[in-house]
Amino acid sequence: MSHLSTDRLAALGDEAPTPVEAAHLAACEACAREQAAYRALVTMAHEERGAIGIPLTRFEAIASALAAEQVVAAPAARATHRRARPRTFLRTPMRAAAGILLLAGSAMVGRVSAGAATLPFGERTVATAPATVPRADAPSFASLEQARDAQLHSEALYQQAAAYLAEHDTTGVGEGSPVAYRSRLAALDQVISTTRQAMRQAPHDPVINGYYLTTLGQREATLRQLNTVLPASLRANSF
Amino acid sequence: MENEQLTVQRALAGDQAAMRALWTRHAPHVDVVVRRLVGHDPDLAADIAQEVWIQIFRALPSFRGDAQFGTWAHRIAVNRTLNALRRTKRMASVEVDVEDDTASVEPEGERALLAASIEEAAAKLSPGARTVFLLHDVEGYTHEEIAAELGITAGGSKSQLFKARAKLRVLLAHLVDAPANTRFKPESSHVAPLY
Repeated sequence: MSHLSTDRLAALGDEAPTPVEAAHLAACEACAREQAAYRALVTMAHEERGAIGIPLTRFEAIASALAAEQVVAAPAARATHRRARPRTFLRTPMRAAAGILLLAGSAMVGRVSAGAATLPFGERTVATAPATVPRADAPSFASLEQARDAQLHSEALYQQAAAYLAEHDTTGVGEGSPVAYRSRLAALDQVISTTRQAMRQAPHDPVINGYYLTTLGQREATLRQLNTVLPASLRANSF
Repeated sequence: MENEQLTVQRALAGDQAAMRALWTRHAPHVDVVVRRLVGHDPDLAADIAQEVWIQIFRALPSFRGDAQFGTWAHRIAVNRTLNALRRTKRMASVEVDVEDDTASVEPEGERALLAASIEEAAAKLSPGARTVFLLHDVEGYTHEEIAAELGITAGGSKSQLFKARAKLRVLLAHLVDAPANTRFKPESSHVAPLY
């Protein structure tokens, strides 16, 4: 029997092979490996089903919209209709909160990756990060709602900053070896896995969310850096 | 822990604390479905997610409790997101043929760390193939359900799924090929058969 077709191998990601196919898979190492890869892919996809993320929505905005439709009573605290994502500007306290999140996240990744000389941040940052934020600049919030607003804005700002840095920051690019970058990726993968599990238990925990987002951003940046040191034939087309 | 059906009943009666409780409990799951289906457009995803939640609360009187609230809300999220994508013409041609190259398996030398995750890899698929893959392999829809949702045949859904998997298998080779101790060593992994 000739090799199984790509479509058939893809189908075997979650289907049982026929007796003839099973006999071929038992004898053909290449097809068996392909089948195993497709099964791994389908397993990965199934695991995504339980994934969670930071909510895209704010309850206050939803409640206001529903109140406008008279589905429910207007929220007591704010009866005016608000857009869900007032992201056009960030007030100073929000910027400060974003800065804290960035520092905390960077410190975490630095600790995880300690020992990798190519990291753009080191132990000193880890040790002093919390103390570098002057008390006078610490944001103060008048209400839970304001704090939640700041948190959401900070997360959005962080994501945008991480995406920008991953795309434009060339600091350290080309200085590391593929092995060093891959080591960092492996460490980041472990952190992502751990924080993702933690987020299932505490989806709104700002610290865990911060770590998770920071790690994702650093992974993206590391992949880009790795791409710069790989031979052309191994480079990704895009990220 | 409070019974969720009771929370729903309170929400139906207009209790905003109960509505907030439902949102708090399920937004991390519902919103991620929207984000996944929309792809790399966070603003659009946020707009659609808000629409989804408004629809969930609007439709709350029709929730009979036969299924879990989360399952019911998830269905609304998928349905509303697909509708919204159709409106934005991103799904105008769901049944477009997946590019020819999706069926090919690239030789080892061309493989690399092409995508960091399923979500990132899926973003590289055509809208139709991506939607079918996400609905079937991630969200657990059957081909018949996908066919009904997208207005295609079950066979078309299968075809798109297999082509999507073939492309993802290449894009995620570094994650699905090698055991953990040889991950990130493309030179040591196997050469896929070329057909």
